[in-house]
Amino acid sequence: MEHESLFNATDVKWMQGDEEYGDIVMSTRIRLARNIQHFRFPRAFSEDEAFKIDQLISSALLDSDELDQTFEHFDMSRMPILQKNVLVEKHLISPQLAHKERTGSVLIARDESVSVMINEEDHIRIQCMEPGLNLEKAYFNADTIDRCLEEEVPYAFDSEFGYMTSCPTNTGTGMRASVMMHLPALMMTEQIEQIISMMPRLGMVVRGIYGEGTSAVGNYFQISNQVTLGKSEEEILTDLQSIAEQIVQREVESRRALLEHASVVIHDRVSRALGTLRYAQFITSDEAANCLSNVRLGIDLGLIDSIPTAILNKCMLIIQPGFLQQYVGTMLKPNERDIHRASLLRTLLTDNHLHEKGDDSYDV
Amino acid sequence: MICENCKQRPATVTVTQVRDNQKVVRHYCSTCSQQLNNIGVEEPVSVQQMFADWFGIPTWSTNSPKSQQDIEQPNACPDCGMTYQQFLHDGKFNCPTCYDAFREQLPQVMKRLHNGAVQHNGKVPGAVNETYQIKQQIEQARTEMRKAVEEEHFEEAAVLRDQIKTLERQLRGGEIDGA
Repeated sequence: MEHESLFNATDVKWMQGDEEYGDIVMSTRIRLARNIQHFRFPRAFSEDEAFKIDQLISSALLDSDELDQTFEHFDMSRMPILQKNVLVEKHLISPQLAHKERTGSVLIARDESVSVMINEEDHIRIQCMEPGLNLEKAYFNADTIDRCLEEEVPYAFDSEFGYMTSCPTNTGTGMRASVMMHLPALMMTEQIEQIISMMPRLGMVVRGIYGEGTSAVGNYFQISNQVTLGKSEEEILTDLQSIAEQIVQREVESRRALLEHASVVIHDRVSRALGTLRYAQFITSDEAANCLSNVRLGIDLGLIDSIPTAILNKCMLIIQPGFLQQYVGTMLKPNERDIHRASLLRTLLTDNHLHEKGDDSYDV
Repeated sequence: MICENCKQRPATVTVTQVRDNQKVVRHYCSTCSQQLNNIGVEEPVSVQQMFADWFGIPTWSTNSPKSQQDIEQPNACPDCGMTYQQFLHDGKFNCPTCYDAFREQLPQVMKRLHNGAVQHNGKVPGAVNETYQIKQQIEQARTEMRKAVEEEHFEEAAVLRDQIKTLERQLRGGEIDGA
């Protein structure tokens, strides 16, 4: 199967992090919401409208000569639930699109850095992801797709309110820019609450890793712009960039302070987390995510050197119910998942090649 | 028996609560019982609720129905039929024309959602300003011209034909500029 890797846990680009901000900023994401004139929004449109919209957008992107990427079209109604869940966990589609009863589809670029959801809450949702903190590049990519589409389809645009979206929280630029950050030290030192409460005044919002309405599992936080009206795209990106940099700074300072004042406690904590992952027989995704977060902190602080980051990223994906079931190849009951998850983690983290590399000692 | 909270794992913990002198027995799995003990069950506030709280009929209006009538209600959206009340209830528009139908009321909604902003200040699709608008004008002029010819208003038709030519030239020029 040509796109088999799409449903595997190998090399997900947005998990790779970058050098400048290490693993504190894991990834950057830009989402643009767009709609087509004279068509009702997906919450109110007819099957016929849905079909026409899908045709318009798909052909515009699939036939384009201007774009570097090659896209593949997936119809949600024809995709098995297990595969949909994997795409959600890879952040290529939203849970809303996956669970839609009615029409919906997605165009995914070969390198998985771009996906265009069709007929989700809006007619068009362009989404671009980049590893690390890279708002400029992600926006450039999204803007390129946007410019290509606007030549082919007439956008619903109002000179007063900007891009018209189904939800007034997206009206204006239709842009949601977000950075996913790993903030274990701010969490441990209980500074995160203060940061979260500050965000609305700055026009920003903090969410869990899987977007709207999700909690912060494994110390991952998604910080994004709340306001889409009145500010230009550039202003929104500049503001988010500076806020992300300030949070990185505070996380770095907190990590340093933790190492200085509580190095034994931290070392104990990250080592126990690794121990749990290596020996547990039964583990929920939340517990696994928290342990993996601690192991990542251990790696970042130089306390654990036996686990390559690539393995850790793979673990992070595979602990999620969708991946786990895709990996095992069948639907699993939650308690069965907890058993399979534990078994997979034991294998990945005590695998022979890990022993060869790092002789299993994680002392500095 | 399965857990009453996640409805997925088998229930292994029984929690007995006394509320208003009534005993309530609940069955949870070990995972949920731990979570519920730690944080309690919290319902996230939905967008709809937020809207209802902000823009719905305020509670005082039940005491003075007069003031409710004082609030002017815009007409329903001519394209999809959505009313302003329905928009406030759903927190979502049904079609682009809704924006036009509720234009007078929208600034107060947008102010709340976007830190006081009421006017778009970002990207404008190129097509809105140039190509698409011109194409629409051409389309409209063509329809009018055909009608004029049918009604034998040839002078009018000639004016329209010249208009179309000018617009088409603009379109070509604009595209060259844009490329």
